[in-house]
Amino acid sequence: MNSLDPRVARLPKINEPVSPKVPLDQFGTFEVFVQPKEGKPFQHEGSVHAPDLELAWVLAKETFTRRFTCTSLYVVNTRDVYVSPLTEGDKNAYDLLPEITEQAGSKKDFEIYQLTKRGKQHVHVGTVQAVLPQEALVQAAKLYNTGNIVYNVWAIATAAIRFTTPEEKELWLTLPEKKFRDASDYKGGDKLKNFLDRNIS
Amino acid sequence: MYGGGNTFEGIKTDSLAAEDPIKLAEFEARITRGEKIEPTDWMPQLYRKQLIRMIEQHAHSEIIGALPEGTWITRAPGFKRKMALMAKVQDEVGHAQLLYSAAETLGKSREQMIDDLITGKSKYSNIFNYPTYTWADCCFISWLVDAGAIVNQLANAKGSYGPYCRALDRICAEESFHLKYGHHCVIYLASGTAKQRQMFQEALNRWWPPMMHFFGPSDKISAHTEVLMRWKVKMGTNDEMRNQFLDMYVPKIWELGFTIPDPNLRKDETGKWEYTEPDWEEFKRVINGDGPCNKERLEVRRVAEARGKWVREALKTPKTSYVTPLA
Repeated sequence: MNSLDPRVARLPKINEPVSPKVPLDQFGTFEVFVQPKEGKPFQHEGSVHAPDLELAWVLAKETFTRRFTCTSLYVVNTRDVYVSPLTEGDKNAYDLLPEITEQAGSKKDFEIYQLTKRGKQHVHVGTVQAVLPQEALVQAAKLYNTGNIVYNVWAIATAAIRFTTPEEKELWLTLPEKKFRDASDYKGGDKLKNFLDRNIS
Repeated sequence: MYGGGNTFEGIKTDSLAAEDPIKLAEFEARITRGEKIEPTDWMPQLYRKQLIRMIEQHAHSEIIGALPEGTWITRAPGFKRKMALMAKVQDEVGHAQLLYSAAETLGKSREQMIDDLITGKSKYSNIFNYPTYTWADCCFISWLVDAGAIVNQLANAKGSYGPYCRALDRICAEESFHLKYGHHCVIYLASGTAKQRQMFQEALNRWWPPMMHFFGPSDKISAHTEVLMRWKVKMGTNDEMRNQFLDMYVPKIWELGFTIPDPNLRKDETGKWEYTEPDWEEFKRVINGDGPCNKERLEVRRVAEARGKWVREALKTPKTSYVTPLA
């Protein structure tokens, strides 16, 4: 190919046409949660596509924690997030949960996320024990429904989460050293001023 | 419901007549109150369609926009500039990831968007169909094309669709580095040797016409534009965005002693910028595929797609499958 870029010019010619992908035959979806500072709650940041939890964690790290402070992150398959109805105005999502009779079986942990301002992120409020995610939401209503409007609640089985290990946390320790990725590292003011002074005089 | 429950219904009609009038009134009232629309909320088909189109084009622009700058990484002057440019290009590709996710929440899958990009069905920002001949062209993009993008993005971040706004907040925070870095590069060229100054002046001459095209032709105030502005999909007219860019950056370019290649460029008494009407025929020609780099840009994507196929196949597991992201 003719290109100013020698690497592009060297690209092989692909003769076969690129076949369109089979609809929805692609990687799974994973939700990403980040703890911005020690002691702060985790919050939902967005999603990535990956073949499995391990690679989802790696992609999440690259996509969401190159900037800003971060002390930990975790990922979970989108299918493992149980979602309450989304409300608006003065309707509290906790008030719309269907009744559920107590379930037999062994209880497990669920992480509870709340949306308290529409347009913002879901934020972690605590962990509850339940057999089913539906039950976990009802538990959350008992523990975290303070009367303030909550627009949406998520329950995530803790066992389904890929957490960051203590050793991996060191990954983010070098962030403050990478100043070349911050606007503050590009102060051209003095050089500009010298240039302007030189040209005016 | 479990995450990913909302599926894409497909767009039947552009007309609002088919919409439920009560739901439409509630939807509009929510936007008027300044509330965000979230993926599971009811929304008119036209809103969904236009947002997908807009966010998808934005995502493609980030991916394709990484190419004319990425080509300069190996030739950037010095280690510091190489590191910065690498970080910037990585950011741009990262922005595409965020934007694709936001568009996906509206029901179009990521692979469908990539297919539409490489088959030429979807568009991306026209300015990236021009080549970067010298390092100064690369500096022009880092400073001024990014500046133009920030004008658009800051406006759109106040729009009505929650996932797009959240992606844009993150993007704008990272863009502030790009802008400062780009300005820094240009200050160094401006205060350097006569040859360096000449390099940037030539880049400015080459890039000014596509930069004026960047914000799009004057909007005809149609009913269509009016409804998109009322729904906070479009946050200002193309001319307003262009004027804002000129207002912020023309003085900074002049301050560095460069000449903008438009003898009619001046600010009138009302604070509005006057300029020679850009060549919209050229704009149309390039957008329809006849620019200097259209073929190359798409070919690079196609080759990447074809060469990466075995990796994607190898990674695929039957255990996970695509669902729409949550928010």
